Amino acid sequence: KRPILLQGHTRSLTQIKYNREGDLIFSVSKDQIVNAWYSHNGERLGTYNGHVGAIWSVDVNSTTTLLITGSADNSAKLWNVQTGKCLHTWEFKTAVKRVAFSEDDTMALAVTEQRMGYPGTIVILPINPDIGAQRPKAMVAVWGNLNKYIITGHEDGSIALYNWKDGEKLNSIHPHTGEITDLQASEDRTYFITSSKDKSAQIFESNTLMPLKKYVTDAPLNSASITPIQEFVILGGGQDAMQVTTTTMRQGKFECRFWHRILEEEVGRVKGHFGPINTIAVHPDGKSFSSGGEDGYVRVHHFDNDYFKFRYPELS
Amino acid sequence: EDSIALTSVSKELLAHRRRLIDEWNAWRKRVEKELAEERERAGLPPIQKRDTENMEIIE
Repeated sequence: KRPILLQGHTRSLTQIKYNREGDLIFSVSKDQIVNAWYSHNGERLGTYNGHVGAIWSVDVNSTTTLLITGSADNSAKLWNVQTGKCLHTWEFKTAVKRVAFSEDDTMALAVTEQRMGYPGTIVILPINPDIGAQRPKAMVAVWGNLNKYIITGHEDGSIALYNWKDGEKLNSIHPHTGEITDLQASEDRTYFITSSKDKSAQIFESNTLMPLKKYVTDAPLNSASITPIQEFVILGGGQDAMQVTTTTMRQGKFECRFWHRILEEEVGRVKGHFGPINTIAVHPDGKSFSSGGEDGYVRVHHFDNDYFKFRYPELS
Repeated sequence: EDSIALTSVSKELLAHRRRLIDEWNAWRKRVEKELAEERERAGLPPIQKRDTENMEIIE
């Protein structure tokens, strides 16, 4: 029978591994790419991209859920076999020449190269067996009230509530469909606001993550702040210039948007920045606020009397 | 007829807004009470609320 040719690597192969069932082959190469193949027909299942140097070694755990690689970029990486996502990176002083999972998959060894005054080492890496626990990257976080909890906002739009003392995750929700870019607590920390690339901002109760309010805009948001005097929130963001294909954006068009915190209605805008608004903070006395833009400016805005007098006439 | 329709719409909106305000205020009352009790148990002073009602606006 003729051999099956696995075509996909562009440079020298360095190691091949079968999974326990033998239906898959993992191969690594000096071309910095990990390939996964079906062993029965040679069809490529996928690639794992992330290393920036030759890859010397690869191993797959006994349940074919995790892959570990060692590279000349002085790192070892842990991958989710199915999604291709890099779950963890371990940094070393020199190249990682060999990696291998332990029999029970709870550890891996890494052999690092002796070079330039660094001794060669054999390092044992702990492997978290629960892939689900490898949470998407946390982007922002705040303290809850009475220093008991921390609340984290993640790259995938999820929010988690942790008891920081023992690291226990108490609750987690997935209210946004895009990266959470900011998380700011109310004055007494009983609630907080999130901003997201999904163009919305939301308010949640701190201790329960119960959703309370949602503000839906037309631009990706980078920051959201709660005002102490009026029942407002201030939202800022805007499309990055890099992502705008046509230059239809008028200069100074980037606006801080004011929404009524309780009624979820937009009540006004303050413009001025020449680029997306990256961060917003409100003065503790609630009489002014500052916005920081991609344009490099901080704008300190003092509210005028109309702001303080603002009322829904029919509600007062 | 048009004006009647408008009024009824705004009445609905008004009722909606009132409901949102009432719900929020009831919720605030509850969490502020819970927080005050918790702070007392922890031996912490109550959070000073800013006096926004009697705030002086300097012209």
